[in-house]
Amino acid sequence: MDRVEGAVTTRRRFLAGAAAAGAAALAGRAPAVLGQPARELHVWHTEVEPQTVRTIQETSIAEFERKFPGFKVRQQALGWGDLNTKLLAAIAAGNPPDLTHLNPFMTASLYTKGLLRPMDELVRAIGEKDIHPAVRTLQLFDGKYYGVTHAMGAIFICERRDLREQKKLKPVETYDDLVTLAAALTEDGRRWGITIPGEKLYMGFTFPAEWLASNGGSWVDPKTWRPQLRSKAMLETLEFLQRLNRSMPPSWAGQKYLDTLAALATGKVAMIYLSGARTIGYIERYAPEGLRDPDHFQPMFKPRGPSGHKGISSLDGENWAVFSQSRYPDEAFEFLRIFYKREHYLKYCHSVPIHLSPIFTPMLGDPEYLAHPRIRKWRSWHDFMMAGLKAERFLPIGFSRPDDKLVPFLAELDGSGIVADLIVEVMVGGKSPATEAERAQRRAEELLTQLGFKRWS
Amino acid sequence: MAPSLLLVGGLILYPIAYNLWLSLFDKHAFLPAQTFVGLGNYRYFATDPEFWSSVWYGTVYAASTIVLQLVLGVLAALLLNEGFRGRTLLRGVVLFPYMIPTIVAVILWKWLLNDSYGLVNSVLVGADLVRVPPAWLGRDWIMWSLIVTSVWQFFPFVVVTYLARLQTIPPELYEAATVDGAGAGRRFLHVTLPQTRSVLFVIVLLRSIWMFTKFDTVWLMAGEGGVGRYIRTLPVYAYSRTFTYLQAGMGATLAVLMFGLLVGATAVYFGLFRDEEAV
Repeated sequence: MDRVEGAVTTRRRFLAGAAAAGAAALAGRAPAVLGQPARELHVWHTEVEPQTVRTIQETSIAEFERKFPGFKVRQQALGWGDLNTKLLAAIAAGNPPDLTHLNPFMTASLYTKGLLRPMDELVRAIGEKDIHPAVRTLQLFDGKYYGVTHAMGAIFICERRDLREQKKLKPVETYDDLVTLAAALTEDGRRWGITIPGEKLYMGFTFPAEWLASNGGSWVDPKTWRPQLRSKAMLETLEFLQRLNRSMPPSWAGQKYLDTLAALATGKVAMIYLSGARTIGYIERYAPEGLRDPDHFQPMFKPRGPSGHKGISSLDGENWAVFSQSRYPDEAFEFLRIFYKREHYLKYCHSVPIHLSPIFTPMLGDPEYLAHPRIRKWRSWHDFMMAGLKAERFLPIGFSRPDDKLVPFLAELDGSGIVADLIVEVMVGGKSPATEAERAQRRAEELLTQLGFKRWS
Repeated sequence: MAPSLLLVGGLILYPIAYNLWLSLFDKHAFLPAQTFVGLGNYRYFATDPEFWSSVWYGTVYAASTIVLQLVLGVLAALLLNEGFRGRTLLRGVVLFPYMIPTIVAVILWKWLLNDSYGLVNSVLVGADLVRVPPAWLGRDWIMWSLIVTSVWQFFPFVVVTYLARLQTIPPELYEAATVDGAGAGRRFLHVTLPQTRSVLFVIVLLRSIWMFTKFDTVWLMAGEGGVGRYIRTLPVYAYSRTFTYLQAGMGATLAVLMFGLLVGATAVYFGLFRDEEAV
């Protein structure tokens, strides 16, 4: 009995102690729980580099929190490939972030579902006419802006220029040129001519969009939205890819984007099909001494196909967007005004130079922007992007034509992996392009019908 | 009684019932609207080549890993049941793969098997065993690489479970067998195996279910694109249908089908082996 009473007393003491500890913990969270509501502005973005996260914290977030005491900004940097899935889960749960990056091919999908807020006032406030034409109207639907690009970075082939010149070959213009160059630069057992990342988002969506755009094709028929996966443009592309595959490492389909950067830097491959300014970081860290410069590593425009007029590359540039469900939309827009303030925006773009190029045309040629040491050293890469913008050789990631911004199911098409399977079966599996294209066409038509987007008969 | 009913109902019955209900609808993953399609999703998958290939890959993966886990696990347990110096340390070391997080195990093996920088190819090429380094993470070998990674990570479960049973076998049985002239092999066949039949029954049952429904190792090994195609098991396909195709109803249907396949296989397993257990 004493033992039982002692146990009861001990239990009571424990519960009392736990309650006291809990109360102390709550009181310690001043002032949030003591009558002053702590409001949090949730901001998601895809720039995961630590220096970029730090820059945002120290510039835009610091100023915002000074201007809006009682608000805390919670930034979350998500991997690019994770963004869509996490965002959709958050939307489904009714709890999306207040402000987020979106892939441009996602934006139309969310706009048509009424999930986004217009931001015309913001765009005018930050200088609508200064925004580069390549990105200004990407999120313009029914005369209103539903997004604004955070920064832009060109994607292109990166080559070992010195190796190409040793073979006395010119930069590629056509599919055949690339096959020839890749074969010439392949040294059995030592080096492969070219590689591409095997991730679905790239080889199953980003590159097929480029290939279609470079070969006179498109994802869907503009009027009926019928998929065009067995079109002449696609079949010619698949045949080109089967030939190119002979000069690629056999494990390419298992490699990720960063693996390909490392392979280029360390000389395992002579070219990579997907390269942005992040490649510079790998070159400077892993390439042999004496090679870490733009004379050895140079960007190259993507080639055109036999039915195309010019090679098209992707322009990497997610757009900021505010959801209809956002709890603090006004504050989200205010945050963006601060984000785009010149002094903050310059630091943001400088956190990963060239990869984060400003969206404002005047800033692209601004001496203060160009004075960054990395931009000075790799100036030719910046100039290359400027030349591509001028020649209109870029489309947003996943777009096969400019009006793909109006197609509301690109996210679902990307997610389905139908095109990724097609590419892999043809390149890795060695299967017949025509047969696999027919199969992919059937699957895509089934998918769009299931999703309610069938307009063709 | 009431709290446990609440727990069972809330955590087990409700999700199963909701999933079953969801499988009868065509539902977008994040839009609230849905359309009742009855058994339409099930009819679709009956003729979907992707579904059958994912069942095939899942079966190959599960069967191969179970056999190898059993062989390796039983051998290791038999060895660790003997007395020798360092046995206690080795018993701890053998648990290591099972203790580390799956993400770490997969990253470790992906680095070992990397065709350009991996240790495995380094050794093979250095020892002149191969001229061209095999692409362990390429199409031809990815399933084997996945199997090796999974066997390495999960065989300790077999070791621990089997070893625990081995240690309860009365030594007199072995003494009697020895007296009767039985060698090591016959002692294993006529003493060890019959005595451990029941635990082997449970090990095979549990490991089969867990390997067939394994998602994380498969996903981490190759994701969705590229070579992921060649190891796309049913759990991965169900995930894809829900979160990347954005067809939650279809994902739910695949989950129900997976459940049905496992229940069917378990019933067959019990039918074949449970009677022997009772004897």
